[in-house]
Amino acid sequence: MIREDVPALKVEGLKKTYSNGLVALDGVSLEVGAGQFFGLLGPNGAGKTTLINSIVSLARPDSGNVKVFGKDAFAEYKEARRMIGVSPQEINLDKFLTVEESLIYHAGYYGVEKKKAKERTEELLERFALLDKRKARTSTLSGGMKRRVMFARALVHDPKILFLDEPTAGVDVELRYRLWEYVRELNRGGMTMLLTTHYLEEAEELCEEIALINGGKIAAQGTKADLKEEYGARNVEEVYLRVVGHDVA
Amino acid sequence: MTLLESAFNRSFRTLLGREILRFVRVWTQTLIPPLLTSLLYVVVFGVALGGRIREVDGVPYLQYILPGVALMSLITGAYMNTSTSVFDAKRERYIDDILISPMSDAQIALAYTLGGTLRGLIVGVGVFVVGTPFAGAGVSHPVLLLLTATTVAFTFSALGVVVGVVSARIDHVTFMTNVVIQPLAFLGGVFYSADMLPPALKLATLFNPIFYMVDAARYATLRASDTNPYPTLAIVVALAALAFAGAWWAMNRGPNLRY
Ligand SMILES: Nc1ncnc2c1ncn2[C@@H]1O[C@H](COP(=O)(O)OP(=O)(O)O)[C@@H](O)[C@H]1O
Ligand SMILES: [Mg+2]
Repeated sequence: MIREDVPALKVEGLKKTYSNGLVALDGVSLEVGAGQFFGLLGPNGAGKTTLINSIVSLARPDSGNVKVFGKDAFAEYKEARRMIGVSPQEINLDKFLTVEESLIYHAGYYGVEKKKAKERTEELLERFALLDKRKARTSTLSGGMKRRVMFARALVHDPKILFLDEPTAGVDVELRYRLWEYVRELNRGGMTMLLTTHYLEEAEELCEEIALINGGKIAAQGTKADLKEEYGARNVEEVYLRVVGHDVA
Repeated sequence: MTLLESAFNRSFRTLLGREILRFVRVWTQTLIPPLLTSLLYVVVFGVALGGRIREVDGVPYLQYILPGVALMSLITGAYMNTSTSVFDAKRERYIDDILISPMSDAQIALAYTLGGTLRGLIVGVGVFVVGTPFAGAGVSHPVLLLLTATTVAFTFSALGVVVGVVSARIDHVTFMTNVVIQPLAFLGGVFYSADMLPPALKLATLFNPIFYMVDAARYATLRASDTNPYPTLAIVVALAALAFAGAWWAMNRGPNLRY
């Protein structure tokens, strides 16, 4: 049984070396409490995407342990992955499918029964204002619409924890605010959020707890308030500057 | 839940369904061209040249080549399906959505492989059915023929998965088709009996796996063949197992799939 005090995500000593010898994760340990809105901040190339990929076996870590709501992400990958939703950094929609099919097939891959999948698809199409595009092939959509389909797809199997990998990179302001509002609402409803971003305002806006990652290592971690106090900073940006040592840009 | 139920669970069936949807949706590229090409073979080699070759092993020439021609289409159909589907999915990274789902690597490999197997069978059976009125005659061992056809389609479909994964560029996929599969199929005794070849070529033919497959299909259809069909079938089954092991490996360890 999953108890309330089991963390949503527990990462211990995760190490990942790519085949070209680059050490992308150098012993990362991290705990995300159930129901938290957690931000993973770091400059480009810090290892954020590698960390997410390692949890869902898209990258193969050299060593380390990962537990998702107490389930081992590798030994019990079926149970673990069913609880995870991923909205990847890069758009990767199946070009042979329509918008509607993208959601229904994804739900099927996650074992969701047909009727439930259709209901959830309907809700999410409405939620992301995609109803009039439901029969369109994903390859014909604009960039912003593709993003919306990606978010909807990540949610259609009702994950308990959602990985949002730089969700608002290249997204227009309106969609950004709508997305912020929606993920906040999902989080209030109990869904754990792991957001990666190098956009500090986003972290300031959304996250209670923050980890700063740099060069494959966690450089600082704590609640927003604790970090500000610890580094004598007024906002997340100042914390970031003190820890990472330079600006994002 | 039994082992079978969990292997063929909803996740697996959904991916298989997606593979079928894909080739049905682009049927003008996947189902029609191979039918046309094979009909051209039947016309050119059977009807036009058949008058000169009349009989091989006591069988009218068109009848003699039809099982092999159908098998060639089946092989290319099965192979093309998985190699292009997997290659596209990898190039545009939408395969990630499948790789991070709760499916096992074996399930993913099997769903892709069976999708290609089905396309190969549809095309192969289609060619056979369309060619039969021209060639005449029926099938002596239908069960053996279906078994052979399915195993052969499965083998090349699984091989297509491997090629789709390991190919870094689309030319690698087409290279395999044009430089390996097509020549082997052409030299696999589709249009002649190995007995008609000079000894050196005949020996070379014995190293061509497609030769055994064509031969088994021909035996099952016409009872005319170069070798005993049962050891042949055993070889074909072994090749299928080997190819599937390759597809499984590709999903698990293939380059640039799971980094
Ligand atoms: N497939 C790969 N092969 C080799 N190096 C990679 C690969 N993917 C990412 N990297 C490298 O690993 C480091 C971390 O990358 P990534 O996890 O994408 O960072 P972030 O998401 O924080 O921007 C970077 O230096 C990047 O260049
Ligand atoms: Mg990234």
